[in-house]
Order: sequence, then C-alpha cells, then structure tokens
Amino acid sequence: MSELRIALKQDRAAFQPGEDLFGAAYWKLDSPAQALEIRLFWFRRGKGTEDAGVVHTVRFDEPMPEEARSFRFTLPTATYSFSGKLISLIWALELVTEPAREVQRLEITIAPGGQEVLLDTAPEDGARKKPSFAWRVG
Amino acid sequence: MRARDNPFRTERLSQIRHRLEGITWAELLSRCERLGYRAALVGAQGSGKTTLLEHLEPMLMDRGFRTRFIRLDEEHRKFDNGFLNDLFAGLTTRDILLFDGVEQMDPFAWHRFRRRSRAAGGLIITTHQPGRLPTLWQCRTSAALLAAIAAELLGVENEMIRDLAETLFQKHRGNLRDALRKWYDLLAEKREIVAKRNGVVEDPSCSHGPDPAPPSKTRCVGLSAAADCFGCESRHTGATSLRLGKYVRYRVASRVRSVIPSV
Repeated sequence: MSELRIALKQDRAAFQPGEDLFGAAYWKLDSPAQALEIRLFWFRRGKGTEDAGVVHTVRFDEPMPEEARSFRFTLPTATYSFSGKLISLIWALELVTEPAREVQRLEITIAPGGQEVLLDTAPEDGARKKPSFAWRVG
Repeated sequence: MRARDNPFRTERLSQIRHRLEGITWAELLSRCERLGYRAALVGAQGSGKTTLLEHLEPMLMDRGFRTRFIRLDEEHRKFDNGFLNDLFAGLTTRDILLFDGVEQMDPFAWHRFRRRSRAAGGLIITTHQPGRLPTLWQCRTSAALLAAIAAELLGVENEMIRDLAETLFQKHRGNLRDALRKWYDLLAEKREIVAKRNGVVEDPSCSHGPDPAPPSKTRCVGLSAAADCFGCESRHTGATSLRLGKYVRYRVASRVRSVIPSV
C-alpha cells in the first residue's frame, strides 16, 4: 500500500469561491506508477443516487518512488459546499495513482466565508411565523 | 441533520453486506455450480437480491470467471439499441452474466436473451418471482434483520431500535430498502416527533442534552429510539412516530401509550 498525502498551504480546509488553492502532493510508492493525478471534484452524499464531477486535474508524469510536487487550482465560483436534509454537495481533492488507482482524498469547503451552506435552517412547525400577507380571492 | 452525516445515506447503505441466513457462502456457491451457474436469486422488492448478486460477483471472479453486470429497473426497462449485440458478440465460457432486474423484461425478450446467452459460462439473475431460471436462493427479510442492519449503521445494540424496526418493517411490508430510506427521513428531520394527543406536547427540552428535564405530560417518543438521543435515553422507548399523509401525526406503540396520561 503506497503512502499518499495531500497538503494545503497553511493547512486550510475552507476557501472562498474563485480563490486560488495552493498545495502539494506527496507520495511514497510501493510499486512503480506511470503517473499520478490530483483532481478537484465534487460529489453528493445523502439519499438516492450518488453523483460526482471532476472540475480540474493536474497530472504528474514519470513520478519518482518518493516525491512531493506542488499544484495550484483556481476554485470555481459555484457551486458552494452545502448540506440539506436530502443531499450534501461536498468538494474534495483526490490524489490517484495510475494504473493501480490507489486514492487519497481530502475534503474541503468552498463557500462564502468558508462556511458550508446549511439548507435546513427553516423554523420548526411550531415556531413558523404567520405570513405577513395573504392572497385574497374574489 | 446534514445529509452527509445521516447514518442511512446511500454511501453507507451500499456498504452493507448481505447477511445469508441458513446457508454459508461456500454452500451457496456450491449450489450455484451444481446448477451450471444458471440460476435465479428470487425475492420481493427490497429483500436484498441486488446486494446478494453484487456480493457474489467477486466470489465468481475468484473462481476464474469474468463477470458482466447488467441491470434493468423501473426507470430503465430496456437495454439501449446495440448494447445486447455488443454484449453477446464477445461472450465466452469464461464470462458470467449477472442480470439484475429480469422481471422488467417481457417473456419474449427474456426468451431471446436466454437463448443468446448460451455462449456464456453462466447467467445469474435476480427476479421477483421464481420460474425464469432454477432458484438459487430465495431472499427473505424480517424485522430482526432490519434491526440488525440499522443497529450496525447507527452503532447501537439491536435491542434499542427493535420496536422502531418492527414498525417500519410492517409499514413497508418487508421492503428493507424502503424501510431504511424512511429511517433516513426520520433522522433527517432531526427533531423529535411527538404525540400531541392526550396532553402530550412536543418536547422542547429534548435537545439531546444531558439533562432534558421535560415538562409534565411530555413524553418523547422519538424517532431515534435512543439512537441519536442518548441524552434522554431513559425517556426514550423505542416507539416511533411517523409522518402519515400530509399531516404530522403519530403512531405510538402500546408501551408508550401506557405512560401517556389521559386527559
């Protein structure tokens, strides 16, 4: 089992949308690899079908058995990291070896203020305010 | 509760191993071999057929087979044009077709499929009713099985969630998939749904704290059955309240009724 690590500048895990992300990928390989890739991607967690999408990829060709290489991504301006009752959208970095496909993942937050947007903050039934207006028919 | 933290999220459900009861994996594989690797996993919806088929796949690969997993469901009732031609064109006796959802196929299409799959080394299917291939295994569910799965996901003892498991099992008529999805919804609500009948009111103090000190005539008959409310575990009963129709209503187990004072 190879040793894979992703380190981010200043050990940050939360970022503003559109911000530049700097980091380094470190590996100590058990068996030779053709290449390694670091990917910025999002995935969904929660109820129902899970989904994912890769946004950026940096490829490290001809890797040494033990090495560290830096990378930089410009983070997307959307979609923000968010969580509701049904789904969470999570951003992450993933370091993958080819062809063995060993993986190391690091989850990050991309949202204004670096805070995951929480969707289930609506008031409870009992605390729900009365509407300040009403439609009148006729 | 955030979706990413819900113990019943899809990611975790997909990691549950099928629990064979009354037979070992070796015996099941042996039976499969005797049937010439042409057999059916039979069971109702949500009984674990797909999970069992998925767990059989690596075991068949260990026996030297190359597996081809194909699936039909209510959203995809037919294979795309050309897919089956490509599939059958490259089949050898090393290949085993694992076909999930055969019941979606009409009898004529199934007949053609079965005939064309003869070149393969095996064909293992899942289906709701027996008859399309010799039955390899009949998948069955029970409230105890639901409780065991939920307990594993929640990291609690079976006993603590037995009543809720029984209620959900009955409500979903043995469909464990639907019952586990309902359990997800109940936890997602992240608040105690309580009976408002007979003077029993929603318990505002039940915030999973160490000393909830509920007002009188308040009983938390929470959905979590102590699974996520250890703070007031002593008042939790394992009974459940369910959302029925458009209104939040409740169904309180008899054990709870006995502690709710009448007004």
